[in-house]
Amino acid sequence: MFEFIVGHYNYWMYIGLMMIGFYAMMAKRNLIKKIIGMNIFQSAIILFYISTSVKRGATVPILEHAHGGHGAHHAVDVMQYANPLPHVLMLTAIVVMVATLGVAVAVCIMIYRRYNTLEEDEIIMSIRRG
Amino acid sequence: MIAQTPILIVVIPLLFSLICPLIGLWRKGLCYFWAILALSLCALASIDTLFAVMGGGTIHYRLGGWAPPFGIEYVIDHLNAMMLVIVSLISLIVAIYSRRSVEQELPEKIVYFYTVFLLQVTGFLGIVITGDLFNLYVFLEISSLAGYALIAIGEDGAPLATFRYIVMGTIGACFYLLGVGYIYINTGSLNMADVQQILPQLYHSKVILTAVAFLLAGLAIKMALFPVHGWLPDAYTKAPSATSALIAPLMTKISLYVMVRVLFTVFKPHLSVELLPVTDIMVWAGFIAILGGAIMALAQTDFKRMLCYIVVAEVGYIVGGVGLANTTAMKGAILHILNDAVMTVGLFTVAGIIMYKTKSHSISDFKDLFKKMPFTMAAFVVVAMSIIGVPPTCGFFSKWYLIQGALIAKHWAFLGALLFSSLVCVILFFRVIEVGYDIRASHGGQAHGAGHPAIIDEAPLSMLIPTIAIAMAIILIGLYNQAILSDIIAFAVPKF
Amino acid sequence: MKILSLITVVLVGAALIYGTLDMPKWGDPHSPASTHVSPYYLHHSMDDTATPNVVTSVLADYRGYDTLGETAVIFTAGMACILLLRRGHKSRGKRHV
Repeated sequence: MFEFIVGHYNYWMYIGLMMIGFYAMMAKRNLIKKIIGMNIFQSAIILFYISTSVKRGATVPILEHAHGGHGAHHAVDVMQYANPLPHVLMLTAIVVMVATLGVAVAVCIMIYRRYNTLEEDEIIMSIRRG
Repeated sequence: MIAQTPILIVVIPLLFSLICPLIGLWRKGLCYFWAILALSLCALASIDTLFAVMGGGTIHYRLGGWAPPFGIEYVIDHLNAMMLVIVSLISLIVAIYSRRSVEQELPEKIVYFYTVFLLQVTGFLGIVITGDLFNLYVFLEISSLAGYALIAIGEDGAPLATFRYIVMGTIGACFYLLGVGYIYINTGSLNMADVQQILPQLYHSKVILTAVAFLLAGLAIKMALFPVHGWLPDAYTKAPSATSALIAPLMTKISLYVMVRVLFTVFKPHLSVELLPVTDIMVWAGFIAILGGAIMALAQTDFKRMLCYIVVAEVGYIVGGVGLANTTAMKGAILHILNDAVMTVGLFTVAGIIMYKTKSHSISDFKDLFKKMPFTMAAFVVVAMSIIGVPPTCGFFSKWYLIQGALIAKHWAFLGALLFSSLVCVILFFRVIEVGYDIRASHGGQAHGAGHPAIIDEAPLSMLIPTIAIAMAIILIGLYNQAILSDIIAFAVPKF
Repeated sequence: MKILSLITVVLVGAALIYGTLDMPKWGDPHSPASTHVSPYYLHHSMDDTATPNVVTSVLADYRGYDTLGETAVIFTAGMACILLLRRGHKSRGKRHV
């Protein structure tokens, strides 16, 4: 039981973080708070992926003693190096997250220029009043 | 076909969009022609690929020469190739159509409009052509970001609608990414064919169940499946006419294509049909979507909003058709992806022409349109007949296959929904035609009368010719539907 | 609305946690993700790409197309911001909020 928790608590922590962000995206009325929630949600997904690349006792995936000229190929012990693939995928996902953040904030600027507020209730009231 | 044609399909719009701002610095008016050149080359490449696939079977293209699953691979089979042709031809037609509309609605933004337009088409093509799950996510985000920008520059109220779309679209994309992550953690691979090999041992595990659920939930948000369709009516109604003509037919159909890929290529049909009740849920989801879309469409007084709810109902047709899980219904569903893309672009191009001429998209402002714009409204009548399902337009044939599939599966509720929605579409379009022909006014006491001269104030040619071409395509696809079914779609249907 | 959001969040979180019950333990060197595709990258990175940094060789070589897509995402976001925020010549000089 205890081993099960120790083996899985990283996933649960990041899922909890994701749900905080998800709740903020859906329930908050201020547009900037929704954007912050979106950021938390996506960051938590990135951390979730990265946590799966860890191996007990392994180091970063940069091969040691690799530059030895031709023929100096030491056998690479895969257990010694962390899994590089999630790192690569998440580098791309971080860039996508930042790009989405930029476009979302640009749309917020457009909304602010027009309605002079960033609270969703006030904007809807302003639309209803015509 | 040269060996590099598959990558050219995606790279040509991307490269041309990089150069578009530079051309805009030189001469603004050239951007329109630059975009048409890019999309024409792209359309030629995709038609060439379709014939290559029809002649020689599935194409495998390795990016960088690395063997899958270590590198990214493009896999083009019949379903893919058909989707590529649909996306590139519809983008080309909307690009040709867009000139006057963009000049009127977005006069200062022409250069960057065409840049982002080409980027969105790049995203769409990249989604459709790839055989790698994470690559699909990257191109999904390219097309989504471009779409957000194109919609937000619309009329008053567009930025708020876009913000809601951003929130919901990001939730959908993140659920898709979570689903891919769960699959990756338990298989170690991202290549669709490789995952299909490894997964069958894991079909009974909780991880795969959750992965399927989140992949489908994310795609359901992206394809606006009722009840998570909330972003669609506002966003597509307030967008500029050229944007809604591009995004409305394509974004939802591409998400439907990804759903078919996930259900039948990544996971074998065995999982969705027998092990998990996925297809049963899908038929009921389609049923609810058709009813919800049809009923909401009846309540609208704005023409474009009514069209948006028709799109929601059409998504229900295809989801339900896939869910019926027999060969006839799948043929109908895949044929309906083709037909619905063409019908939706027809509807939104007509709406754009009406917007260009009357500066409004409310049905009550449509008086006398049939006399002023006879050719446009003739095209509209053809598209309306196709949505209702009247032969020989293409809509009849795909509905016929879906009805047959429902009969084979003995799913009476879905059959009832199909027939009900045809009836509702009759009411919807006759309402528009009634206002357009001014039928009530000529019956009542209003002094319109026969003395009123019929001034023909038709749409400009660059907008009219694509619309008429779409109407003719609807009839041609209907007439040749047997050839399309036997040569292309029969190979795209999975084996149940 | 807030209660509906809370219920949705709890259900989604529960579904995600249910999915993790079958996952490999944290730090397990024999997990499927660590034994299927990534050993190839670690073994062959020096031979194929002469790069000891395996993350770089995967990012720029084996999965370089994803990096092209990522660059296209940044370009799209930049063009989107210009499209959204740039004001035309007519409105310059007018008072804005």
